[in-house]
Amino acid sequence: MTKYILKRIAYLFLTLFIIASITFFLMKFLPGTPFSNEEKLSEAQRAIMNQQYGLDKPLIVQYFAYLGNLIQGNLGTSFQFNNQPVTTLIAQQIGPSLQIGTQAMILGSLLGVLLGAVAAIRKNSWIDTVATFFSILGLSIPSFVFAVLLQYFFGYKLQMFPVALWSGFSSSVLPTIALAAFPLANIARFMRTEMVDVLSSDYIELARAKGNSNWQTVAKHALRNSLIPVITIVGPMAVNIMTGSMVVENIFSIPGIGNQFVQSILTNDFPTIMGLTIFYSFLLVVIILVVDILYGIIDPRIRLGNGGKE
Amino acid sequence: MNLRKILGAAVLGAGLLTLTACGNSEDKSNAKTVSVNVGDVLPTMDSSLNTTAIGAQQLNNTMEGLYRFDGKNLKPAGATSIAKPTNNGTRYTIDLRKTKWSNGDNVTAKDYVYAWRRTVAPKTGSQYAYIFSGVKNAEKINAGKMPTNTLGIKALNDYKLQIDLEHPIAYFNSMLAGSQFFPQNEKVVKASKGKYGLNSKNLVSNGPFKLDNWKVSDTTWKETKNKGYWDAKNVKLDALKYHVVKDPNTGLNLYTSKDLDIYTGLSGDSAQQLSNRKDFSTTPSSSLFYMELNQAKNPLFKNEKIRQAISHAIDRKQLSTKVLGNTGTPATTVVPKGMAYNEKTKKDFKDEKQSKALSESTSYNPKLATKLWKEGLKEVSGGNKNITLVSDDTDTAKKSSEFLQNGLEKNLPGLKITLNNVPFKNRLQKSTSGDFDMVISAWSPDYPDPSTFLDLFTKGNAMNRGKWSNAQYDAQDKAAAITNANNPQVRWNNMLNAQSIITKEQGTVPLYQQTVASLMNDKVQGYVKDPSGLYNMANVYKK
Repeated sequence: MTKYILKRIAYLFLTLFIIASITFFLMKFLPGTPFSNEEKLSEAQRAIMNQQYGLDKPLIVQYFAYLGNLIQGNLGTSFQFNNQPVTTLIAQQIGPSLQIGTQAMILGSLLGVLLGAVAAIRKNSWIDTVATFFSILGLSIPSFVFAVLLQYFFGYKLQMFPVALWSGFSSSVLPTIALAAFPLANIARFMRTEMVDVLSSDYIELARAKGNSNWQTVAKHALRNSLIPVITIVGPMAVNIMTGSMVVENIFSIPGIGNQFVQSILTNDFPTIMGLTIFYSFLLVVIILVVDILYGIIDPRIRLGNGGKE
Repeated sequence: MNLRKILGAAVLGAGLLTLTACGNSEDKSNAKTVSVNVGDVLPTMDSSLNTTAIGAQQLNNTMEGLYRFDGKNLKPAGATSIAKPTNNGTRYTIDLRKTKWSNGDNVTAKDYVYAWRRTVAPKTGSQYAYIFSGVKNAEKINAGKMPTNTLGIKALNDYKLQIDLEHPIAYFNSMLAGSQFFPQNEKVVKASKGKYGLNSKNLVSNGPFKLDNWKVSDTTWKETKNKGYWDAKNVKLDALKYHVVKDPNTGLNLYTSKDLDIYTGLSGDSAQQLSNRKDFSTTPSSSLFYMELNQAKNPLFKNEKIRQAISHAIDRKQLSTKVLGNTGTPATTVVPKGMAYNEKTKKDFKDEKQSKALSESTSYNPKLATKLWKEGLKEVSGGNKNITLVSDDTDTAKKSSEFLQNGLEKNLPGLKITLNNVPFKNRLQKSTSGDFDMVISAWSPDYPDPSTFLDLFTKGNAMNRGKWSNAQYDAQDKAAAITNANNPQVRWNNMLNAQSIITKEQGTVPLYQQTVASLMNDKVQGYVKDPSGLYNMANVYKK
């Protein structure tokens, strides 16, 4: 197992290296320069600024310089916000995004698993129909529509939560629900399908035959086995939510990182583009690794023996 | 895992979410606080590096230069009076008021000298250094050919400043109200080690307000009254709040629920829907949108009749009301209304007889357009009637270019327009490299004088992307800038003449002047745009 994890960590860095390299060269194809008023710069200014930003050297030299800094954990300084280190910029803005993302994932997974499980246990009853209806609704309504509706009813009309802006936990509630709708619906759908399968399998019959109550059977045997495919989709979905929260962040005027990413591309803020891409990729590969390790814990059949031998 | 545990956790989670629902504590409508929305974050508070209007407004709130606009008029701020130039209009000797920075230091003439030298020094990388170009030696210093201490600004003593210009600049006093000319506290700039203006800790104020607990990339910030400000007794508000709002619905909901006192910069769609409300208003901004026709690429546009035909084929009224939803007013020339006023008569440049007479050149007249187009085509040889129209990729820009495409193709037979809507940076690159037939450009004034627009279309100006040129026009522009700089009335006429020449020839095709549509709490008073496009927040109060 340890060897396996170490191998995976090595791959993780390889993946990051490839992503960093591809992004670096693609980014240099963006039209324009990072300067917002470039026609008005004197030659001397332009030369000095290019030198400050390291843009005067050949591309390949810039590339290796960048990799060198990256290894030391230095993501450079932002062009858009003069001299602000990219790491500070990310640190300042990642908080709200992580908070609503994590809350949405927790809420979505818990309710999704619950909804799916109940629907499967009471298959073809009205509960099942209602649960299926909600999961289809959750999948088909885009988060920004849902966000606007939530804002209008719960923020503006009922005044239960702030309409927008960021001031403590209460302002994170509506965005969390808006973001949670999709994972909730998706997980519920997977959960139901898998649970229906599991409930009709032989070992469940056996468990029942041994005299376990219905609840015991579901909790001890069915649930754990049904979770395996759900875990597969939870990983990528978590990253998706954390990176794709921009629209919801905009609607609720949340000082998150999503918008920064788009702005940095529009303004050719190279170090910020690189920094955020690497940061997001890192999140993604780490989550995938964690999911793979979780598999082993949940499903003994996947668990690796010593040195990978069964 | 146990199902009951999961159930329990889910219920707990849902419960937590609803429990905190009723925690709305802050008093929203405070009588001494005004909250305003802005479109984006504040990228820097360094007056040498700022390039955005949002930044300029915050600098105007928290800092102060020699003068400040009070409505249309300039009044002394850091200076004791409005200076009259000597030495044939090239020397300004200015007495400073004894004021303090918010850290207790005195604001002295040295702070101005330091700030100006810092902005012009090439290594600072100020993208607005060019605005100093009339100040003695500024261009040479910025080009790295002279040391910064040769700049035409000197501290005669702690409270006396002497500024020397290369040549007289008629509007120099109103330029001095701009944030690029503000003083900086050398001690604070140096102590911030390259991070000056990136957070409120690395800042000091000498203006009516000061920033609290702000750092770059914040989407909400608060400015409280600066008690040490020399004119603090006339500052009526205790605090200003700015919120970054990107979504139009959110803005409206925040305004209606009183989180915002002023919701400004409504989108065209919202402005159209809300225009009947009592608290709705529009203010012309000084940003002008115009279409440049690339003569260097397409010989068609060298023909005056063809350019006039294009102008007459555009229904600017429809564009402003229907497409832009009242967030624009038809532009008749390349100079916007409400920016520059005659020194003596106080008449708006655009209200002068000569300006008014020009409205015919931009009238919507399809018949005349078709006629001129056909005549023009006979006069030119070559030229491609399949052309591209480059513009931004925002919703408004897309709708505007579709509208233009439709009108031009309908009224000018044989013309085929391909739309090319690209991101802002891309549009700039295409404009600069001449990779366009027609491009929709926009310009906001650097200082409140018609020349900030008229200069754009002189021969050799980097912003003259269409490459139209006219020797008489250049002569009038130069006369206004240099020869008659000390004679305001003659100079004014030079600019009116230049405006007539470019408008009659349609050297560039004016489209519309942007209008800012807002909703404003009827208690808020004194929120008035000044000629520089900013608001003097020291004058704002609540009834």
